Amino acid sequence: MVELFPLSLDGATTSRRGKRLVGPVDLKISGGRTTAVIGPNGAGKTSLLRLMHGTARLNAGRIDWACPTDLARHHQAFVFQRPIMLRRSVEDNLIYPLVLRGARKKETKTAAKTWAQRVGLDQLMQRSATVLSGGEQQKLAIARALIIEPALVFLDEPTASLDGRSVREIEAILSDARARGTQLILSTHDMGQARRIADDVVFLLAGRVHETGPASEFFDRPETAEARAFLKGDIVE
Amino acid sequence: MKQILTWVFVSLIAATNVMAQDQVRMAVTTSFHNSGLADVLVPEIKKELDLEVQLLVVGTGQALRLGRAGDVDAILVHSRAAEETFVAEGYGPYRREIMFNDFVLIGPVQDSAGIQGAQTAADALARIQTAKASFVSRGDDSGTHKKEQNLWEKASLDPSDFGGWYRAVGAGRGAALNTASGLDAYIMSDRASWLNFGNQGSLALLFSGDPVLFNQYAFLPVSVERHPHVKADLVAKLEGWLTSQSAQVLIDGYTINGETLFTFNAN
Repeated sequence: MVELFPLSLDGATTSRRGKRLVGPVDLKISGGRTTAVIGPNGAGKTSLLRLMHGTARLNAGRIDWACPTDLARHHQAFVFQRPIMLRRSVEDNLIYPLVLRGARKKETKTAAKTWAQRVGLDQLMQRSATVLSGGEQQKLAIARALIIEPALVFLDEPTASLDGRSVREIEAILSDARARGTQLILSTHDMGQARRIADDVVFLLAGRVHETGPASEFFDRPETAEARAFLKGDIVE
Repeated sequence: MKQILTWVFVSLIAATNVMAQDQVRMAVTTSFHNSGLADVLVPEIKKELDLEVQLLVVGTGQALRLGRAGDVDAILVHSRAAEETFVAEGYGPYRREIMFNDFVLIGPVQDSAGIQGAQTAADALARIQTAKASFVSRGDDSGTHKKEQNLWEKASLDPSDFGGWYRAVGAGRGAALNTASGLDAYIMSDRASWLNFGNQGSLALLFSGDPVLFNQYAFLPVSVERHPHVKADLVAKLEGWLTSQSAQVLIDGYTINGETLFTFNAN
């Protein structure tokens, strides 16, 4: 698998209509780690993920991968909080990214079956994806991202609004992906999830990295008053 | 091409995270999305219409295929001939022009083929062919590639007859521009992509302004007769907004490094 990391952001900034959404951000993400981006509403978590992924425009600064950017993008995927399902069956949704890559039909069918089993949707292969529950759609979206065997997946609030069972199932899928060598960078409001999944935490405040470090240290000994207040549940802006 | 298409599909099934009352799906081209204009228009549509526009970002050919399959409610692309075929086949009732930008010819600053002195785009391409100067073609199914093929045809030249100096890389805009930058080669690009390209190296914009380089973007509703689940009423609302003064102000006012990228021309 291609080496994407370390990923370095140096003064990286994205703006929209003159309004700075994120930045300037200086950040280094190492390989082999799961990173949770946390912070209050409006802190810029989604924008930071999109900026790293290249789907938000870099207005200033630099973003450097360990390999050429085009190659890095080829080996990564993004799962949105509310995924869009193609108006096709579960199987056809799974197959679509492989079809775009020119995979042969037999290969796509085999891969779709494998991934449907891994995420527990194998009994629903011919069902229309648009009628699945929220949890099932999110599992399908994650499988659709993982089916191309990316080196990195960004996940934007992957379990927001889902019930406890779906959260557990999705976290198990993510752990499995991690064990298979796919690195994860996710945003989450769920501090329990960040504790369970993340090796490192990036705490964003007003579009800037306010504190970052190993998750265990951040949660046990946050350095700044803002991080302590945020973890306590206070409103932080 | 396939690498890029997969990236954009997996990555750019983009939606806002704030649920709106109504949702509509639109397939758009990578060049439009990468220009950054989508990030300006979509939130404004949400604010003014309480309509969430979910974008599926793919190449023009793939966008039209998503429309044919009924996966989207509307399409915003830039390849007139392919759009007219889409309508003629009954997959969309009509195409409506929204805005345009232009294609430009990029090449090494030294301009060994001398295209800066060309009078027309066809003349510029003929000079590149005469000089057998390295030229990178997208070589994919994108609107940009279709346009490039059309320009060679206008110059009475056939790329299949070219030698090794003509490289069809089968890649999206970023990868193709990077290849051209690495090879100091000529390439055709839409202006927005060129302005957004961060690795220009020793390349420069060498030729523009021929009316044939006009790059029209059109909105196509997907036929509700072919696909009854298409949200025709919401598509009409979206079309109404895209052709409104609100859209005109945002489209005409969108600049990168002080340069206007698109000109609104809906009527």
